[in-house]
Amino acid sequence: MPEVNFENNNVRITPLSDRSVLISFGNVIDPSINERVLSIHKALLQNGFDGFIESVPAYASLAVFYDVIKIQHSADFSAFLFVKEFLDSLVQRINSFEKPTSPIKVIPVCYDAEYGFDITYVAGVHRLSIPEVISLHTSVIYRVYMIGFMPGFAYMGAVADELATPRKDNAQLIVPAGSVGIAGAQTGIYPIDSPGGWQIIGRTPLRIFDVVNVNPCLLAAGDQVQFVSIDKNEFASYVD
Amino acid sequence: MSIKIIKPGIFTTIQDMGRNGYRCDGIGPAGAMDFFAAALGNILLGNDENYPVIEMHFPAAELLFEEDILVSITGADFCASVDDIAVELWKPVLIKRQQTLCFKKYKMGARAYLSLQGEMKADKWLNSYSTNTKLKAGGYHGRPLIKGDSILIDLVASAMHPEHLPDITNLLQPIYEPAGNIRCIVGPEWNSMDDASQKMFLNESFLITTQSDRMGYRLQGANLHLVDPAQLISSPVDKGTLQLLPNGQIIVLMADHQTTGGYPRIANVISADLPKLAQQAIHSKLQFELVNIETAEYALLSLYQLLESIQIIHEADRHQL
Repeated sequence: MPEVNFENNNVRITPLSDRSVLISFGNVIDPSINERVLSIHKALLQNGFDGFIESVPAYASLAVFYDVIKIQHSADFSAFLFVKEFLDSLVQRINSFEKPTSPIKVIPVCYDAEYGFDITYVAGVHRLSIPEVISLHTSVIYRVYMIGFMPGFAYMGAVADELATPRKDNAQLIVPAGSVGIAGAQTGIYPIDSPGGWQIIGRTPLRIFDVVNVNPCLLAAGDQVQFVSIDKNEFASYVD
Repeated sequence: MSIKIIKPGIFTTIQDMGRNGYRCDGIGPAGAMDFFAAALGNILLGNDENYPVIEMHFPAAELLFEEDILVSITGADFCASVDDIAVELWKPVLIKRQQTLCFKKYKMGARAYLSLQGEMKADKWLNSYSTNTKLKAGGYHGRPLIKGDSILIDLVASAMHPEHLPDITNLLQPIYEPAGNIRCIVGPEWNSMDDASQKMFLNESFLITTQSDRMGYRLQGANLHLVDPAQLISSPVDKGTLQLLPNGQIIVLMADHQTTGGYPRIANVISADLPKLAQQAIHSKLQFELVNIETAEYALLSLYQLLESIQIIHEADRHQL
């Protein structure tokens, strides 16, 4: 297993609000930096401090929410300083780790133009055939960097350079749940019907977000995802 | 016992103190916009402060009560009246069976809270009663109340004599006044703004536009500029985060905000001023002031101490009677 070491001079720990701090590693999309963010997130979930509420991992930053009143009751100084001190030492400790390998989640996608309204456009931009677009999109194992923008929306990357396509100039009013899109080098799946500006190349029949489930999100940060192409009949067979 | 919605009002929802623990799944906290008014409404009735309450805007709801029940109305003043008799805010009020509560006219504030003695039987989703309308979950079937809805409630025996309780409205002044003066701490991208913009942010006033709701307030004011308008990758945000949009205008994130965003976070409203901000109506003007984190925390502590002291007065009253 490769071991990754980091220097800590690029870490910034600042208030995000007066009840959350932001640990920031810069403005970069990098798997090893994201892995470090997730390691801190997991360490906090397993062994938080008294007054810890939750933490929110993103590409290269992590927000840590805490109960100001609870911490103020037990600390002589500000709750922020208490949390910052805890995190300073945690970040130091988690500067080297074994890169975990999570199992690959396979997600079926129908790339038919009926669902992937923008696949013809994306193919045209890159002078590719539609089968080539499908092959490029399904040949990469993507990393889920973070969940955000809306419940269960996984930001995944990186798509092949030949496939990276800018967002649309104008957001589409309704992108149906399950739509698989591309924005720059990112790919993602819309968990619920929503307005959106990503280039839609297909749709998965899987429920990415299920409100009645105790764990409503299918994907979590750190997951590995591979798409497989299915046809319209197979897509229909998923519908219950 | 149930309460029937005769008229729904505009975007009347069930909320509590919000949903924690699911931001990492992209699920925001929601919750009462004015958490102070909602918590105090419950405390006035001897409820747990996190019990669900009904959040109303103007025009507000009209409700018919099936049985006698103690309620409290806190937050905005929409001239609440029971069977045409005005009722006081920030105080337990006994509503008798078959009486109707309505809100006659707009006076001040933006959101009124109706708390009921006992625990409302609402939908609890991911540990919270707060309504997430986007996901249609929590609260009342995940949606705003409509005509004909019936809210069930477990009544609790009450030993409260509201007429003996002191008037607390003068204690609320530091929470809600001066109305448009909103204190912030600097945000992670404060220094991305140029000097002139930092000054304008602190010296000019900003108008709450009509494009403002529970998700966020879009403000209109001086155009603020970044030193280097580079694209930011998505990063977490919080309630009260002031984001600078590419057009130079500010959006303040409120209770139904997204969990992450890609716009510079120039400042963050301090928690103690969120209740005041939640009560600013559309077209109100805001002036921002920067404070340090210690001041922000002290202000929040004072707010909770006020809640606690009111709770003590009320508990003492219940024990006496």
